[in-house]
Amino acid sequence: MAFVAGSVAGPRGRVPPLLARLTIRRPRRRIAGYGVAVLGTAVLTVALLPFRNDIAPLSKGFGYLVVVVAAAALGGLGSGIVASVLGFLTFNFFFLPPYNSFTIGRAEDIVVLFVFLGLSILISAALAHASERAEAAETREAELAGLQELSAQLVALGTGGGTYDTVLDRVCSLFGYASVRLVLQEDGSPSQAAHGEVVELAAGGRRLGDLLLEGDRPPLTEAERRVLRAFSDQLAVVAQRDRLSKAALEAQVYRQTEHLRRSLLAAVSHDLRSPLAAIKASVTDLLDEEAEHSADDFREALESVNRETDRLAAMIANLLDMSRIEGGTLRARLQGVDLGEVLSECADRTMRRWPGLAVSPAVDDEASAVRADPVFLERVCANLLENAARAATLSGAPRVEVVARLAGSSVTVSVVDHGLGVPEALRGELFVPFYQMEGQAESRTAPLGRGLGLAICKGFLALMGGEIWLENTPGGGATFRFSLPSAPVAEAGGAEAP
Amino acid sequence: MRKGRVLVVDDEESIRKAVSRALTSRGYLVEVAADGEEALAGVRSFDPDLVVLDLNLPELDGLSVCRQVRATNAVPILVLSVREEEADKVAALDLGADDYLTKPFGVDELMARVRALLRRTGGQGSPGPFRFAEGDLELDVSNHLVTRNGTEVRLTRTEWSLVEALAQHPGKLLTHDWLLRRVWGTGYEGDVDVLRVFISQLRRKIEEDPRRPKIVVTDPGIGYRWVLQPSEVPA
Repeated sequence: MAFVAGSVAGPRGRVPPLLARLTIRRPRRRIAGYGVAVLGTAVLTVALLPFRNDIAPLSKGFGYLVVVVAAAALGGLGSGIVASVLGFLTFNFFFLPPYNSFTIGRAEDIVVLFVFLGLSILISAALAHASERAEAAETREAELAGLQELSAQLVALGTGGGTYDTVLDRVCSLFGYASVRLVLQEDGSPSQAAHGEVVELAAGGRRLGDLLLEGDRPPLTEAERRVLRAFSDQLAVVAQRDRLSKAALEAQVYRQTEHLRRSLLAAVSHDLRSPLAAIKASVTDLLDEEAEHSADDFREALESVNRETDRLAAMIANLLDMSRIEGGTLRARLQGVDLGEVLSECADRTMRRWPGLAVSPAVDDEASAVRADPVFLERVCANLLENAARAATLSGAPRVEVVARLAGSSVTVSVVDHGLGVPEALRGELFVPFYQMEGQAESRTAPLGRGLGLAICKGFLALMGGEIWLENTPGGGATFRFSLPSAPVAEAGGAEAP
Repeated sequence: MRKGRVLVVDDEESIRKAVSRALTSRGYLVEVAADGEEALAGVRSFDPDLVVLDLNLPELDGLSVCRQVRATNAVPILVLSVREEEADKVAALDLGADDYLTKPFGVDELMARVRALLRRTGGQGSPGPFRFAEGDLELDVSNHLVTRNGTEVRLTRTEWSLVEALAQHPGKLLTHDWLLRRVWGTGYEGDVDVLRVFISQLRRKIEEDPRRPKIVVTDPGIGYRWVLQPSEVPA
């Protein structure tokens, strides 16, 4: 599998690249050095010629020494020696008597001449050495600067970055290529570049892919190649890191999905079958002609079938909701909703389902308008009331209070029961789907309604910009609270301002 | 018309009600229990002839109830479970349960199991000479004699041990491990292939059609059941 992890093209008519600029400077300076040697000697000779009788030979020699120093400093040892020899000859020819001949009259002048030559060559050598070292240092510095810049960009990429375009863009401009591509391909043959360089990326002895650099530019110099090599090694490590962190992420997602799938299967096997078992038993009981059923038995059996079918329908609705939330395709259609209306409707429905239960919604006027998706809000309220109703009925305190209050810019709804409360151990994972399932395969599992209901509430509220949390009811029981943004009064359609 | 006392244990109210309604309307006397503790109390106070026990109970689970009831009481136990894992059923049967039903089940199925288990109660605790008859076959377990149309059919010693183990519990589902332990001794548990070979050998000798057994019936993955009721149980 190969994929292009990054591809950039350099701008047209760009300035010469940094490193390239540095390396073409050297021959130019060398030519300039020879120029100074020849022209400097000529100019100095012409300038000094009118005064050759007025100036002492030694002083004239110092003039030539200046030319030598200038030539050697600019062009190195070669131009220094050329300047020395030219100076030696012209000094002798024009300025040491007898003039205009290479013969030397005085023994004193011979000493001056050879001291000049020796001194010039020594100075040239010293200067050339120094300037070579300076040049090497400069190149090294440019290399380091380039590498450092690329490293900094690599570090700034962050884990799991998809493309490396910003870094490749720098490579492009730094080396003067027309385009740079990073091809990650672990197996298969190395890639080919039409004209340019291919650098293989490898980390820990494992081939990761290639860096393809294309464009019209002179072959890479040693210095550039070193920088590119060091950079591609770093890039390989980063690419490797990204590959591993991606794999780890995938594994984690897979584990979570797998856990959910297993939990779902376990839940379906228990919770969907229980109502089915009751329905099947009741129906086959009624169908059996040998049994003697009283009218009450008959009615009770049919009521049970009716109730259990409702339960199944509610569980299937929850399963569908959960899979839509998990699928991430759900979007809230936010609008102003009359919270009071939704709550009293849910309360009525819950009381019909749980005869003997009292549900009393109390909604403050200013809390009546919320910004929500009406369908989601209805599901949240229905699930919370169902939970509370079950807890309240089991505990023998069959009443549930529902209170809605404005708090700042949001409305908080509390669903209060006086049941047994939620055990401390379960609180952490209460809003995770099938919270009771993990590691408890042998023991009793949470009914599907409860295992999913709270996770659905949390999912829907998150889509609507709300939150849900659990508190203790003073004196025992659970209080589930959720918050939603309050809606401007006009939106809720007629809710009165306080 | 009083047929027997049945204790129904299930934490799901709807199932508890449906099962007890079905049993009551067919003449059984029923008590119910919603969890393990209630079940144990019910066994002590109600003294049932049969316990219908859901495996999936809050706190004290069905398997523990099974074990604790068996420790002191021989009452037949019919296990109800929504879990289809063989391991759960086998564990319950090994702990002393007599049969199982997987939810959802029909009342006719339930009644058939209940009748079979209650019938068996009479013979319990008195393993003695048994006689069975099925078609042309006559089986005298206590005298180790099998005849088909009056001709003797010879069984090996292991086959007789197998027949004895099975026939002493007519109607009861016996797990592979229980049979292996009983016939071959401890250490043979898990060696289901040996058991299968001997069962099919036995079937060829005593069943009219070994492929459609009417005497030793397979419960796939769990064990075998001797379905003939004794024709004569001498006192």
